[in-house]
Amino acid sequence: MSHYNNTGGYNNTAYHDSDTLEIDRSPSRKSQSQSHHSNPHGNPYPRDDGAAGERGRSDLLQLPGGVQSSYDDAQERVPWGGWQEGSWRGRDSIPMGLLPPRSESPRWQQHDLNHSGYQIDQATHYDTMPPVRLPSATSGHVSMRFRGSRKMSLFPVGEAALGNLGLSEDDIRNEMENEEHNLVQELVAMSTRDRIKAIRDLPMSFDDKKHIRGQVLALKSFKKSRQLNCFSDCSTTVSLAFRRCGANMTLARQTLELWRGTMKEVEGKFGTGVLSYFKFLKWLLMFNIFSFLVNFGFITIPQLIYHPTPDIPAGVSFRGLEILTGAGYFSHTVMYYGGYSNKTQGTGGWPEYNMQLAYFFTIAAYMVLCGAALIYSMASSFRKKYVLADSGLGGAWQLLCSWDFSVTNEKAVRQRKNNLRIQLKESLSEKVQVALLPLTERLKHYGVFLGTWLLSTGMALGCGASVYFLCQYDTSRTRKSADKASGSLLEEAATLLLPFVVSLINLVVPLFYSLFKKIEHYSNPRMQVYAIIVRNVILKMSILAILCYYWMKDVANTFSCWESIVGQALYRLVIMDFLFVMLGSFFGEFLSNVIGTKCIQSLGVPEFDVARNVLDLIYAQTLAWIGIYFSPLLPVIQIIKFFILFYLKKVSLTQNCQPPRRAGRAAQMQTIFIAILFFPSFVGALSMVAYTVWTLPPSDKCGPFRGLNTTFSAIQIWMDDLNGVDAFQWTVWIYQHVIRSEIFYFLVSLIILVFIYIFRQITQGRQLLIILLRQQIVNEGKDKAFLLEKLQTLQKSKQNKQKKKKQVRKRQENESSTGMQQALIARQRLEQENGDSSSSFGVPMPSGHSVSTTSSAMMQAMLARQYAEDQDVASYRGVPFPADQTPASSSALIQAMQARQRAESQNEDEFYRAPVQSQNPVNALPSAMIQVMQARQRAESEQEEDEFYRAPIHSEHPVSSTSSAMIQVMQARQRAEEEESECYRAPASSQHPDASGTGSALIQAMLARQQVEEEYGDRY
Amino acid sequence: MGTTASQLRKDLLSEYQELTFLTKQEIILAHKRFSELLSKEDRNIPTPRVPMEKVLSLPELKSNPFRKRICHVFSTSDMKDGSLTFEDFLDLLSAFSDSATLEIKSHYAFRIFDFDDDGTLDGGDLEKLVNCLTGETDDTRLTTEEMRQLISNILEESDIDKDGTVNLSEFQHVISRSPDFVSSFKIVL
Repeated sequence: MSHYNNTGGYNNTAYHDSDTLEIDRSPSRKSQSQSHHSNPHGNPYPRDDGAAGERGRSDLLQLPGGVQSSYDDAQERVPWGGWQEGSWRGRDSIPMGLLPPRSESPRWQQHDLNHSGYQIDQATHYDTMPPVRLPSATSGHVSMRFRGSRKMSLFPVGEAALGNLGLSEDDIRNEMENEEHNLVQELVAMSTRDRIKAIRDLPMSFDDKKHIRGQVLALKSFKKSRQLNCFSDCSTTVSLAFRRCGANMTLARQTLELWRGTMKEVEGKFGTGVLSYFKFLKWLLMFNIFSFLVNFGFITIPQLIYHPTPDIPAGVSFRGLEILTGAGYFSHTVMYYGGYSNKTQGTGGWPEYNMQLAYFFTIAAYMVLCGAALIYSMASSFRKKYVLADSGLGGAWQLLCSWDFSVTNEKAVRQRKNNLRIQLKESLSEKVQVALLPLTERLKHYGVFLGTWLLSTGMALGCGASVYFLCQYDTSRTRKSADKASGSLLEEAATLLLPFVVSLINLVVPLFYSLFKKIEHYSNPRMQVYAIIVRNVILKMSILAILCYYWMKDVANTFSCWESIVGQALYRLVIMDFLFVMLGSFFGEFLSNVIGTKCIQSLGVPEFDVARNVLDLIYAQTLAWIGIYFSPLLPVIQIIKFFILFYLKKVSLTQNCQPPRRAGRAAQMQTIFIAILFFPSFVGALSMVAYTVWTLPPSDKCGPFRGLNTTFSAIQIWMDDLNGVDAFQWTVWIYQHVIRSEIFYFLVSLIILVFIYIFRQITQGRQLLIILLRQQIVNEGKDKAFLLEKLQTLQKSKQNKQKKKKQVRKRQENESSTGMQQALIARQRLEQENGDSSSSFGVPMPSGHSVSTTSSAMMQAMLARQYAEDQDVASYRGVPFPADQTPASSSALIQAMQARQRAESQNEDEFYRAPVQSQNPVNALPSAMIQVMQARQRAESEQEEDEFYRAPIHSEHPVSSTSSAMIQVMQARQRAEEEESECYRAPASSQHPDASGTGSALIQAMLARQQVEEEYGDRY
Repeated sequence: MGTTASQLRKDLLSEYQELTFLTKQEIILAHKRFSELLSKEDRNIPTPRVPMEKVLSLPELKSNPFRKRICHVFSTSDMKDGSLTFEDFLDLLSAFSDSATLEIKSHYAFRIFDFDDDGTLDGGDLEKLVNCLTGETDDTRLTTEEMRQLISNILEESDIDKDGTVNLSEFQHVISRSPDFVSSFKIVL
């Protein structure tokens, strides 16, 4: 609608207020509201047509809103409408001033506008309204403020479409008080907690919030003072205490927050995208701290209490290499599964503690809690942050919400601007060449995709296979060394081969994958990122799956204390992974920085690859989860690792990297990462552990579950013990009927499936609804545009009429005179038919001979004249008038008469006719005749009843028509003469006696004249 | 001097806590930073104002391309000079804090982007916005043709009711599709 704004000359604020009323202009409000109000609407009265048109347009726009607006709006609409009318009439003040105020004057406005439902019933506002309405600055801002508040949180009512359209000060004050009152009422009704939240959520300035709060509290205390009782007092105290406690908790959390300053620094330089990596790291660190606390508290501490020193076989001592391999000395400590006893502790004064159950339940509880936390954060992340990729989403979000306000570093800001500019230019040029590529090109692209995907998947599988063969080799080697039973350093170091290879694959292959983006051409950069992520996940997970398979198939059947062996292997993998991540950040970031800045300038400073680094973290966390059963203290290693990694990455980032070029959708990526962490990673680890617990036989010689068929049989034994105790019957019942019953799981999964289906249906329904609502918004926009258009044309026609008032007046004059002439000609013709060709002008005497035709001639003349007048009416009303010129019956005559009356009743009509008469004091007979006709017309309009019965007379009594026609002519002529001037009256009256044949006609003429004179006397 | 200046009355502090999204610690920190900006003679005035230039000297705002708009939006000054009282300052920090709701954030973002304060983002506002984002010097600015195209793209995408401007609800709609906004619309002292 920009064209529209142009014609308006300025932005149509009023229009947008219907939607943007909620904008609180309070901060700069005082001065601003002043300027705003005074600008287009403040002083509407003497405005030119443009402004009036503007107002009119905004006026109509209120209508749709007005229909659904709340009751208080309706109250305000009435005086406002009246005022509006006043402004319109102000525009017409020039002609209005010449005429006395008439009671039916607003009628024409109704004719104009009532098709749009615009009702004006208080014409008197015109007189009562002071000319300039400048809402005072304060009231303006307050009303804005409350209007803002209403939409934002509290008021469900339809938005008021009032705007700042120059409401009177009282109106605004009323509105303001009303809204404030409502707001305060609602706030008082709320509970303290909700109220604080609601007030806080108001988009107002601090002062305004304070004001509202003060009012609410005052009202509240006033109410309370009347109904003070112990209970309410107590509850208030309790809730206050709770709130204090909550605030303190937040405070404590904030104080304890790790790396706050570092995070801010990173964010200030690299933005939220890179920060999300560090947040993820911190989150994982929290997971590990939690798991460490759980494991250490429930498994390790009891073990250490009862067996403070591990039973280490002779000849095994700490040699230093254990830190890397985890074997040797460590393998007999509480680090691994094998270090724990299977006894029920607590003989001799100590409380009983069943290590089997403790071990089992701790691991299970930890897994369940982890799963719950992951599902929760994944779900909330999906709900809040994940937005389905909109294909049409291009530049808008980049501009409107991509700016990172947290970036504070000068250089980073400059770089960011630069990147954004390049990105914008790119997206623009992409949009230009959106034309589809030729088929061969597309085929080539598909071929490349196919090739790269095959290659990457093949590589992942190949890596998995090679790892498996390496594992086989490792087993045979270990078996050999176990036979020899010699623990040389070299043997121990040889165990590092497998983790070394695995970590190397994890480091190199992703780098190789990232080369693919040179040959692949994804239309969307995000697709590219997704592709890289998926490939990396496939690689890592296939390697881990192979390892798990190896551990469960081969290791579990080969070694005596296989859980500890697996634990050691995991330990080595974790340590190796850590070393390789450090190496990776050295080679990947430091070296490429050196190369980029010193050697090959074109490569440039490397970017921090968030995706790759996060995937590394996910991989490490998967290892830790798998290892939780085999090595309960593995989280300690993980904690240390993540802690060091944080600082390492931070240093590497600030020293070597530059902010990412593309403002990626960090939040969305984060959601995906959490999802990956949940689905292949956590679920995989969980199934691995569950498989081990449920089906694999634990080793005979070591560990808490030695001697059992499966780990889970510990529970079976426990239940058998409990069976004898009456107090625990319910536990046994639960175990037998819930845990071990297929029916239960069957029913649960069935119910879950049903719920999933129902929710899916609901989701689909909502999607449909969203589409419909969107369509509705679009339609409403179209309606608005249509109404604006309509109003604009209406306004334009009014403008034209006003601006070209004189021209129009002349044109109408011409039309009417031609109409008159037509009438005259028609009459003439009739008279000529009668044979009296000599009495052509002025003297209608000879027409008395004609008996029947005179009246018809009259009719025709009248019709013709009416037609002319109708044309006038139609010309300025803009709609075709229904009356047509064809009917010749008396009913047609009446109709025509009515039409004419209507036309004459309009003040415009009168006002332009008056000048005609005064302007044309023509002495010539035709003009005199015209004047006669006009004068009669007026007489008729002023004596409506007269006319109604006079017209039938014409048609029914053609015999008497001679004299009546005569009389009419006389009357008309006299009146016309009077209107012209006094000096014409004498000759006119002297003429008439000559022409008249009958005395009664003369008398009637005299009477008529007197009547006319009286009328005019009344008027002036 | 920081110790004497950062004394906040307890009732005021709790009121601030209740009316903003800030915690006690953040408010105290904000007060400290604010009083550092005040000149000596201003300290004795009951509600002192810090002129915009001084507010903009804060490292958190110094290089922000929208710094002046931010000051203007949050200022309650009658002079329209962008100067801030402590409460305005708290308001600013509250809106930019981590815990502020999306609604508050989008509301203030809209006002910051609405350069001419007319309650709607029209072509002129968008042009200024783009210039702020890409840099205002002649060599960094987009060409007129690019600008025109860009603005028409934006309007085509976000102007749902097709009135040629982006109003608050349309703006919020765009933002609701960009979950990064909440985390990036953030200024922490």
